[in-house]
Amino acid sequence: MEQQLTVLQQKAQAELGAIRTRPELEAAKARYVGPNGELTALMKQMGAVPKEQRPAMGKLINESKVRIVAELDLALARVAEAEIAAQVGPSIDVTLPSPDRGPGTLHPLTQVREEMCRILRKVGFAVADGPEVETEYYCFDALNTPADHPARDAQDTFYLPATADFGNISKRTPGERYLLRTHTSSVQIRTMLKGSPPIRIVSPGRVYRRDTTDATHSANFHQLECLYVDRNVTVRDLKALLDYIFTSLLGKDTKTRFRPHYFGYTEPSFEVDLSARHLPKVNKEWIEIGGCGMVDPVVFDGVGYDSKVWTGYAFGMGLERLAMLLYGIDDIRTFYQNDLRFLKQFA
Amino acid sequence: MKISRNWLQSYVNLAGKTDDEISRAVTFLGFEVESVQLTGAPKLDSVFVGEVLTRNRHPNADKLSVCTVDVGPAHGVKTIVCGAQNYRVGDRVPVALAGAVLPGNFVIKQSKIRGELSDGMMCSGKELGIGEDHSGLLILEQRPALGLPINEVLPPGDVVFDIEITPNRPDCLCHLGIARELAAWFRVPLNYPDVMVEPAVPSKDSVRSDLLGGVRVDAVEDCPLYLARIISGVKIGPSPAWLQERLTAVGLRPINNVVDVGNFVMLEYGQPLHAFDARKLAGSAIVVRRAVDGESIVTLDGKPRTLTSQTLVIADATKPVVIAGVMGGVNSGVDESTTDLVLEAAYFKRQSIRATTKRLGLSSDSSYRYERGVDPHALPEAARRAISLILQTAGGQLVGPSFRVGGDVPWQREIVLHPRFVTERLGFEIPLTDMKAALESLELTLARDDELDTGPVWTVEIPSWRDDLDRPIDLVEEILRLHGTERIPVAPVSSPGLPENDDPVVEFNRRAMAYLVGHDFHECVNYTLRSAREAAVTVESATVEKLGLSNPFVEDQSHLRASLLGGLVESLRLNQSRGLSVSLLGESGRVFHERDGRLLECVAIGFIMAEDVAERTWLRRTETDFFSVKHHAQSLAALAGIDLVRLTRPVSEGECRQWQAGHAASAGDLSQGWRASFGLLNVAAMKALGISGRVYGGEVMVLPEKISAEGSHRRYKPFGQFPAALRDLALVVDEALPSEEARRALAKAARAVIGTAFAVERISVFDVYRGEGVPDGKKSLAFSLVFRAEDRTLTDEEVNRAFQALQESLIAATGYGIRK
Repeated sequence: MEQQLTVLQQKAQAELGAIRTRPELEAAKARYVGPNGELTALMKQMGAVPKEQRPAMGKLINESKVRIVAELDLALARVAEAEIAAQVGPSIDVTLPSPDRGPGTLHPLTQVREEMCRILRKVGFAVADGPEVETEYYCFDALNTPADHPARDAQDTFYLPATADFGNISKRTPGERYLLRTHTSSVQIRTMLKGSPPIRIVSPGRVYRRDTTDATHSANFHQLECLYVDRNVTVRDLKALLDYIFTSLLGKDTKTRFRPHYFGYTEPSFEVDLSARHLPKVNKEWIEIGGCGMVDPVVFDGVGYDSKVWTGYAFGMGLERLAMLLYGIDDIRTFYQNDLRFLKQFA
Repeated sequence: MKISRNWLQSYVNLAGKTDDEISRAVTFLGFEVESVQLTGAPKLDSVFVGEVLTRNRHPNADKLSVCTVDVGPAHGVKTIVCGAQNYRVGDRVPVALAGAVLPGNFVIKQSKIRGELSDGMMCSGKELGIGEDHSGLLILEQRPALGLPINEVLPPGDVVFDIEITPNRPDCLCHLGIARELAAWFRVPLNYPDVMVEPAVPSKDSVRSDLLGGVRVDAVEDCPLYLARIISGVKIGPSPAWLQERLTAVGLRPINNVVDVGNFVMLEYGQPLHAFDARKLAGSAIVVRRAVDGESIVTLDGKPRTLTSQTLVIADATKPVVIAGVMGGVNSGVDESTTDLVLEAAYFKRQSIRATTKRLGLSSDSSYRYERGVDPHALPEAARRAISLILQTAGGQLVGPSFRVGGDVPWQREIVLHPRFVTERLGFEIPLTDMKAALESLELTLARDDELDTGPVWTVEIPSWRDDLDRPIDLVEEILRLHGTERIPVAPVSSPGLPENDDPVVEFNRRAMAYLVGHDFHECVNYTLRSAREAAVTVESATVEKLGLSNPFVEDQSHLRASLLGGLVESLRLNQSRGLSVSLLGESGRVFHERDGRLLECVAIGFIMAEDVAERTWLRRTETDFFSVKHHAQSLAALAGIDLVRLTRPVSEGECRQWQAGHAASAGDLSQGWRASFGLLNVAAMKALGISGRVYGGEVMVLPEKISAEGSHRRYKPFGQFPAALRDLALVVDEALPSEEARRALAKAARAVIGTAFAVERISVFDVYRGEGVPDGKKSLAFSLVFRAEDRTLTDEEVNRAFQALQESLIAATGYGIRK
């Protein structure tokens, strides 16, 4: 029996060492230590062993069993490892590029708009929105632009045919035309008519001018306007806002200055220049960036606000122009071509 | 408008002010200086008039000559080597001698040129800085005295500021206007031309009614005031040098003394004037009237113009001779043979002139001023100025009768101003004395200065040329302008809280674009105005017409866009044509659609997913298909609170110019406030555009008024803790049956059978099969059903019972087969 054990032991060692798969392992396990296994069979012969030899024989069998079970465990570990290796495949060249596209990019005009809105949000401006098709009232009349003003010429403003009928823009009065808004100031009028003071909004949006397209002009472009209506709003507050906006956007070395100007809907009115030494396109020069002023009492009267009580300021600027300054872009058409080499620079 | 510094100097002493200081002053007074140009000759030392005495070929250079030049007694005869060819012996020319410094810092010294000594240089106009002529020497045709310093011969230097005048300040469309502003800025006196006294009509005998017998104004509305004076015996000829110099400096060509005086006074006072040849006025009469429809006139630019009953004209007894305030006719103008003049000074209403220039597409310096508004009160003064200048430059004498038709345009305006109001509006203090000084410097005089309990109150008298000043706030601007906008004090931004949310439309756009960019799309920005051809791809031809503008600027930007996809496809094409790897593009913006005959402005989100034909990659990913774009469309719609799954249908025939039939879907309807389409873009159309590869896309449009702010917070619903029971069911249905319809039928049957006994948690299709075991014309849709009870573990028996019953109920209701 001792000899049988030794043979069994040797056979098991050879066989178990060669096991590679789980079925082989299960079969081997059954063959040796299963209920009908060879080692189990030997143990069953213990009855036939003389009583005085039993302890020694028992010990031998046990030792064999421990060895075989250990071999089985080893085989199991090998099999499990092989299985995982098969599952994960060969190792990877981690320096290969990902074939996935991306990242996506927000258009630089959107980025500039959002940055301006964030800056203004911090000082209490909420973003307002309005239609791009407007009636003459919202675009001109309510903003103190007389009927024979050149800005209203078919030369400069896009009109829709007299028969045009819009279901979700304000109704036009007889003889009034629909047009493509020439500025986002129409949103100011809509906001004032809908709400009541105090009001503090920023209205970014698309506007239209009947213009030749060239490096600095485009049939449509984007504006951003601020309107603040409250008691005791002053010119000084307006200047403070402009200083705040542009130092927030361009850094502490940025300066703004006002030059008196004329707009029908503000009085006094100013053009705003800025200078920021680190901007390549600005340098030491003053660059015109927008227009602003104190809301003209006529505008307040038109929307039913008492101009003796309410005061306010408005500021407007072109987003393309700002983006061109900010990023050093010299042709406005670049924004509208959507060349990926352009878009990806602003990821 | 062009403003000459020398000219300004006649009214305001600017000596000692640099050009930059003047530019700055103009800028901060509120006018943009577009350019500053130097004209005339700069100061040139050691450049004199000389005469060429001899001219010989240079011994060592074919193109050069060696000349002797007489530069007058003080300098004697010099030898000069010269390369020019346009002069002859005896010509007088500018000679720069050693020590002269020509423009460009070109220092002249005695030197040897190819071995020959040269004492200086004979100069061209360009070398002297008076023009661009570099073709040869500047020949001094007037033969000025030898040795005269050249500055005494050349036109003096001037500085011309090109200034943009804002529409509210027509009073500044002239030199006096700008001078007045500068005088106020620098706080120096303004000197008006001395024309208070009109030259007297010599005697009663000199009434020449034969030249002009009468003036009648029929159109009183359009012409409230008309003055006409007669000057007899003028001699037409060139203007004196000083007058020519003024006009040339600001870019006007001198014509003759009378015309030049008219232009001069217009540029001085801003008041347009007109001179007629009296002998050309039929019937010796002037009638200011509206034209008769169809009447015509040939204007001074040589073009025939047909007039209408809206056109104001100056006519004689038989015909129009001037389009009033705009341009004279060739039939009545002053020419060399003119001896007797009628000088017109009139006040025309701006609306009338504007209507005419607009209709005729014709404008002039005169109409430009009338359209913006001239000061009727300056009219007599300007007329006096013109008369005295004509008498001075063209001779003749003022004769009677003098005509004045119409009354004074009434003018009296006072503004009551509380200085406290100025401080309140500005937000900072300007001392009272400074405020007063600012107003007075602009000739806004304080008629009264009262001291009330509440503080001082000023009554400010507004001069007639400042029609733009009407209210106290207008004076705030004047005070601030003169105080200097650069002196507005720095302050921290004030931000009293106004807790408002951003507009929900803005929020939606933001989130939608964040979604697309998060899925690797590149945001594009395309023009709203598209071609009719592109619009026709998206909408029916009747709608295309409605999207058209009444006055497009260019042909390919004539229509409002009905879809963002046209622009995105264009961006795709551009990138493909540039050989760039491109696939995922998105855009947000407004589009315009028709519903029930009316146009609607919609908020839209569009995207395309194109097969990337330029892509080179070591590992290719799963391709885009219909379900990729369906997923994105669904997610974007969900951001607007829209569930589009249940309303998805195949695209209609009308939508198939844009979409590929059988491979695209649409959902919703604008009458519900939203609409979406997605799928494969029409393959033939893409090919026709030169786009390679398949392009999938999607677009969600929502009426802005339907996008609402986020509602209240959601309420948590507890979910069952007991295990689910799963069953699979394969239905055999007609090939054409939409799976969604089968799913809904199945769900309905399940709800009916199970009722509230337990929940049917989910029914979803997991396999679509055609082929062996399924008859032709049919397909198998396999659904997975998930059942769960909230309060217990479901037993097999109850689930089986329900499962069996729902199959029977479904078959009875629909006739679907069950695949075992």
